[in-house]
Amino acid sequence: MEQLFYALLTVVIGVFGCVAYYFFSNLALDAVFPAKGEEAGRNINRANAIRPWLFLFPALALLGLYLLYPVYQSVVLSFHDARGENFVGLDNWIWLFNDEKFGESMLNNALWLIFVPAMSTFFGLIAAALTDRIKWGNFAKSLIFMPMAISFIGASVIWKFVYDYRGADQEQIGLLNALVVALGGDPAAWITVPFWNNFFLMIILVWIQTGFAMVILSAALRGIPEETIEAAILDGASPLQIFWKIKVPQIWGTIAVVWTTITILVLKVFDIVLAMTNGQWSSQVLANLMFDWMFRGADFGRASVVALVIMLLVTPIMVWNIRNARQEMR
Amino acid sequence: MDNIVGTKSSLTWAVNIAVVALVLLWTIPTFGLLVSSFRDRDQITTSGWWTSLSASEQNLQLRSAAPREAIEENGEWVVRGNLFGEGEGNLTAFGVNARRPTEFAPGATAERRDAFITVEANGDYRITSVEQPEGSRGTRIFATVVSPPKWTFENYDRVLFSEGIGRSFINTFTVTIPATIIPILIAAFAAYALSWMEFPGRALIIATIVGLLVVPLQMSLIPLLKLHNGVGLGKSYLGIWLAHTGFGLPLAIYLLRNYISGLPREIIESARVDGATDFEIFRRIVLPLSFPALASFAIFQFLWTWNDLLVATVFLGNNEDQLVMTGRLRELLGSRGGDWEILAASAFVSIAVPLVVFFAMQRYLVRGLLAGSVKGG
Amino acid sequence: MKQFLWAGAAGLALVAGTASADGHLPFTPGEGDFSWDSFEALKSMDLTGETITVFGTWLGTEETRFENAMKYFEEATGATVNYAGSDSFEQQIVIDLEAGSAPNLSIFPQPGLASDLAARGLLAPLEQADADWVRDNYAAGQSWVDLATYKDENGEDQFYGLFYRVDVKSLVWFSPENFEDAGYEVPETMEDLKALTDQIVEDGETPWCIGLGSGAATGWPATDWVEELMLRTQPPEIYDQWVTNELPFDDEKVVAAIEEFGTFARNDDYVAGGAGAVASTDFRDSPAGLFASPPQCYMHRQASFIPAFFPEGTSMGEDVDFFYFPSYAEKDLGKPVLGAGTVMTITNDSKGARALMEYLKTPIAHEIWMAQGGFLTPHSGANSALYADDALRKQGEILLGADTFRFDGSDLMPGAIGAGVFWTGMVDYAGGKDAGEVTKSIQDTWQSIK
Repeated sequence: MEQLFYALLTVVIGVFGCVAYYFFSNLALDAVFPAKGEEAGRNINRANAIRPWLFLFPALALLGLYLLYPVYQSVVLSFHDARGENFVGLDNWIWLFNDEKFGESMLNNALWLIFVPAMSTFFGLIAAALTDRIKWGNFAKSLIFMPMAISFIGASVIWKFVYDYRGADQEQIGLLNALVVALGGDPAAWITVPFWNNFFLMIILVWIQTGFAMVILSAALRGIPEETIEAAILDGASPLQIFWKIKVPQIWGTIAVVWTTITILVLKVFDIVLAMTNGQWSSQVLANLMFDWMFRGADFGRASVVALVIMLLVTPIMVWNIRNARQEMR
Repeated sequence: MDNIVGTKSSLTWAVNIAVVALVLLWTIPTFGLLVSSFRDRDQITTSGWWTSLSASEQNLQLRSAAPREAIEENGEWVVRGNLFGEGEGNLTAFGVNARRPTEFAPGATAERRDAFITVEANGDYRITSVEQPEGSRGTRIFATVVSPPKWTFENYDRVLFSEGIGRSFINTFTVTIPATIIPILIAAFAAYALSWMEFPGRALIIATIVGLLVVPLQMSLIPLLKLHNGVGLGKSYLGIWLAHTGFGLPLAIYLLRNYISGLPREIIESARVDGATDFEIFRRIVLPLSFPALASFAIFQFLWTWNDLLVATVFLGNNEDQLVMTGRLRELLGSRGGDWEILAASAFVSIAVPLVVFFAMQRYLVRGLLAGSVKGG
Repeated sequence: MKQFLWAGAAGLALVAGTASADGHLPFTPGEGDFSWDSFEALKSMDLTGETITVFGTWLGTEETRFENAMKYFEEATGATVNYAGSDSFEQQIVIDLEAGSAPNLSIFPQPGLASDLAARGLLAPLEQADADWVRDNYAAGQSWVDLATYKDENGEDQFYGLFYRVDVKSLVWFSPENFEDAGYEVPETMEDLKALTDQIVEDGETPWCIGLGSGAATGWPATDWVEELMLRTQPPEIYDQWVTNELPFDDEKVVAAIEEFGTFARNDDYVAGGAGAVASTDFRDSPAGLFASPPQCYMHRQASFIPAFFPEGTSMGEDVDFFYFPSYAEKDLGKPVLGAGTVMTITNDSKGARALMEYLKTPIAHEIWMAQGGFLTPHSGANSALYADDALRKQGEILLGADTFRFDGSDLMPGAIGAGVFWTGMVDYAGGKDAGEVTKSIQDTWQSIK
């Protein structure tokens, strides 16, 4: 029980401390530059110039410390040896481009980048559109969303029960092989089949991420002004036409957001690969390759190089996204 | 909303069926785990979870009572008993040799090492021999039985009532609640500033934040823990809140900015004209209007922090007052893992809270969405 | 807010007030054949108020047993030992040492990793006297000294740790009753073992259960096979050269050992589920085939820890037993034994840490765990009558009576090899890749990290 009080206390202090910062810093700003009196106009301008930074300061400070600083570290480390002590120039980069596992990871990552965001967004969109039309839609949504609530360690156990393989003469305990056997086929060790095992791993991530896409897209679909749809109905458009021609174009921005978010997640994903295959049977991906060199090889130079490649890969998507966002703003 | 859909009964049917198919596809794997969590380890590793839903035929290795318990009857030594203890059995074949486990039909008599073994369909056995048998280990009897579905709560018993799980539950809440609220708060202010306030360098900041979305977490672990140790934070709750906040911020700002910048310009402009300061606009207008976005991000951030193991193992210690659920569950797996039944049960225990949160938040989500769609000024 | 603060303060006071006083000892001092004099001698140390943090890989039962062993130290000296275990020890210890939040003592399952970290100056060396003590008091003492002697950051040899708990790897598990039903004899030589394997196939059965699966560590059971076969086909000196890469990984001797493993694992008739199942079957699930009805296999080669994964209620020596994984009669290489063990090192020096190291030298520290089961020790002062069961005693004898004892080679290789490409390479090999190709790629990686 005492732990509960202590926990509650820390929670309250943590959260209130944060609220207090915004409240009091704004109060202070208003007190220093009061919006009344003879200098009201100038004060308002001054306050307005400072206020954005008050709002942004905690975010920028944390981002700088927790993300920018490590990036800077990675860049520095990528030109150093395993311990980060001696400068080795481009050695790590040269090693990387000659490493066969790296080539394999790039290829697999390309597959992941196309398949997972596309499928998750597609299924998420379908699920959002369909569940919005039926009475038990919220219940259905919760069930589809459920995989999001499962930790990776849980998800890998769940899918082990699907992909598990026993010899042809034994009883199958994996669902997929049981189905295959029931249909008269030969069981296979699915996650060890090079190339195709990528897809079996990707399905797991699609299964998890569809719920995310669905929730966000469903919110967007409900936000579409009713007038446009009513007009289309009056014009005699079929539900399918309404969906693809009227609704989808209107939520294009949100689809892009969902797509981007999942893309980023795909590049960072390593838990699934680590738990299911650890990159064996030609299923290595960049994030897991980095994890390998970081913690198993204890070579910070090489790990940093792989991390930087991940960041570089995403840059085009980011640029496109930023451009999009800025166009929308105008 | 039926008027929008333009009700057609055949279409409604198709939609319903499609949703049922989708839901089934998405839940069956989890359902398999749920079923498995009520089975014991031997069942899990020898038969598929779906077989436990109906009666199934199994080959078992059982043992008779110890030979030294034999009693003398009519010049013979006899060991008697039931293979299934007190339980009911339904035996269809038996054997006494590993090579031929289904050699005999119930009621037949098998011979092994000068002993005669008879097993009935209900599991009653009788082993007779001329000499007095010795030893503490009973005779192996291979039995083919049809057994009804069998369930056990033992896995949950072990997961829920094993030492310290309550403590880790509280620890996890101590981590997740501030680690959910703080980044949302910070991100909402930042997102507002980036959407509706004019200042130099805004575009650059947005670009940087979007760029930071891809920083791989693993890269930051060592430099940051070094930093925490350096400034005396060490492995503490404050440290992990800051870490979760830092790692969650780019996505939070990115998602919230997308939503907040899409709010109707007229509302904010008119409030400005009325003389409201940005802080007031944020508190009175933007915050309530962006509730759906805040709620959905809150759900995601909560799930991430709840299910996180990596950040917690690095930034929190693994002593009694700091070990979180995921860490505790991993410990439960035993020294070398492999206890699937425990994994299955513990996965369900850890899903429970996020699911409750989702169900609870969903109401607000819908309400927030409806409120947001009402045009006002 | 005020109320919250008050409640919190009250809570804190409660925490302070309920400091646990659990002095329950599993074995009462003075009773049984334990070396209680060494326990009494500890009482001369006074460490009241000292807290020692220990970090290792033991969890569950092993954690309880280790903590029980520590209780006697706490009882005698007044110190507090806080043990924490983790499945991801290897990653976490690197992070903690680099970041400066290391525990006082760390228990490394892989000397290779300890040696990496010692070279970075992150471990505190022990005294030369400690090394001398191990040499005199451990069976085959010099080899345990060598296994814990690494180069420090200045490139000088230092002695770093005590081995506490070892495993014997060279065991083949089988069901005596199944052997009896089928009329098989325990083989004495590798030739006999191969003949038996063929015999079982002729009888229409499957001889072996082999599983390489182990989540992120998939592949390691195969490295044990290869090491065993290296020791049985090559003299120990060659094995040592292989482990340090003086003998290149793609040497034909290594390739031959791997192919020897292939004759078992890549033969569909030899392994349960066929060769395709080997890499994907979890090593924890694979011994289950021994106990199935009808049996799915008759033999399973695995280290002394595997009984933890046998079905519940399995009786040692009756339901299951083991024999020494034999050597070739024709090669005249004696009876080599492969083993592994955990080495206790100081990662954050303190008075308490040094005192705990002293405790680990006492027989009682070993005997407490021996009596609880699942513990082998080379400490010759520990009373072997205290082993919890005959199986352990028999394993202890195999360990002490080995002509050649060698440590698990993959645990001695650098992490990127021994816990990286060696594992993945063996998985590739089990999947059908050519041994020459696999070893070439492993050698390339090794070359690149030198």
